[in-house]
Amino acid sequence: MKRSKILIVGSGRLGSSIAAKLSVKDNYVVIIDKDINSFRKLDEEFGGYDIVGDATDLQVLENEVLIREVNEVIITTDSDNVNLFIAHICFYIYDVPHIYVRLNDNDKGVLLNNTTIKPIYPFSLSFDDYMKKRKENGNHENSNY
Amino acid sequence: MVTMKIVITNGRHEADFMINKFKQDKHKLVIINSDQRFGQYMSNINHVPVLFGDSTKAYTLDDAGIQDADVLIALSTDDIINYITCITAKKVFNVKRTVSVVRNPKRVDLFKKLGIDSVICSTYLLGESIKYESLIESFTKTLSLENDKIVITEIMIEDDYLIAEKIIKNIKFPPNVNISCIFRDPSVIIPNGDSTIKAGDKLIIVSTTEDQDMIVEFFETKVNKNE
Repeated sequence: MKRSKILIVGSGRLGSSIAAKLSVKDNYVVIIDKDINSFRKLDEEFGGYDIVGDATDLQVLENEVLIREVNEVIITTDSDNVNLFIAHICFYIYDVPHIYVRLNDNDKGVLLNNTTIKPIYPFSLSFDDYMKKRKENGNHENSNY
Repeated sequence: MVTMKIVITNGRHEADFMINKFKQDKHKLVIINSDQRFGQYMSNINHVPVLFGDSTKAYTLDDAGIQDADVLIALSTDDIINYITCITAKKVFNVKRTVSVVRNPKRVDLFKKLGIDSVICSTYLLGESIKYESLIESFTKTLSLENDKIVITEIMIEDDYLIAEKIIKNIKFPPNVNISCIFRDPSVIIPNGDSTIKAGDKLIIVSTTEDQDMIVEFFETKVNKNE
């Protein structure tokens, strides 16, 4: 079976926005969250499938998500530990080719060593954004009150 | 006895019990707990230091000094906390062996596949134990005497067993076998060499504990249909 599906784990602000963005193209997008209310955040344009379930449960992954057909997974629950656990399952058990995982704690990135899993660090993004804006503003070096 | 460096993360009374036991055996203990009050209590009654913190954070494990520990035992009621703790201990701190408790029995095999050396689930164990007990039920029952030196074994003879329908004196028994009694509903037979063993009989056999496995294996040998 050809792997072509995109799976998004966690329908928070980030997960639901990515789902809406990707589903307008020709993609087959599945989004999973254990809380049915979280799908309210999904854009009306979202043309994919939503599943209420626990993405750490292999039976859910195999029978409902059809994880073996997934080519790309983006993991965005609000717990770093859960995100890492799901990323490891996708990588070590199901050989999903492209895995992205959000980690609020940069230190936890060490658990992705020797894998092809790509971390997304909100901390680094905010830090870099601040530094960039500060530079644009001339670093306040000569500023006086 | 070899002393080991043992790390115990989280858990409540099971952690307390293990600390007590390992301390008697003079092992070096490192205790981490995310519940400050319970940690304090364990520290007071066992006279060991307990570090308060989140065991899924590498800096907590570093502060506790778990580097190169022999064993880490993760006892949180949250399976995923145990997983992250064990994997961090292995990958970052070179801990030789990790043991995780899990609540969800479906995760036992998964955790093992993901690299945790030993996974314990009480529900899973209960299931296995019931399975084992019911298996034993159909074949043999055992009663031990004299501090386990003598055993009485009950074996149910199935019709495909090699010894079914044979006369005792014609059977080549291994040494040290004594069929004390044959229960053939409703009668009880004290056998001699001319007695026949029939399918459906229950044999009561007295032996030493060491010989028991060999005896059970002998009696339960099935007819080889290829011959």
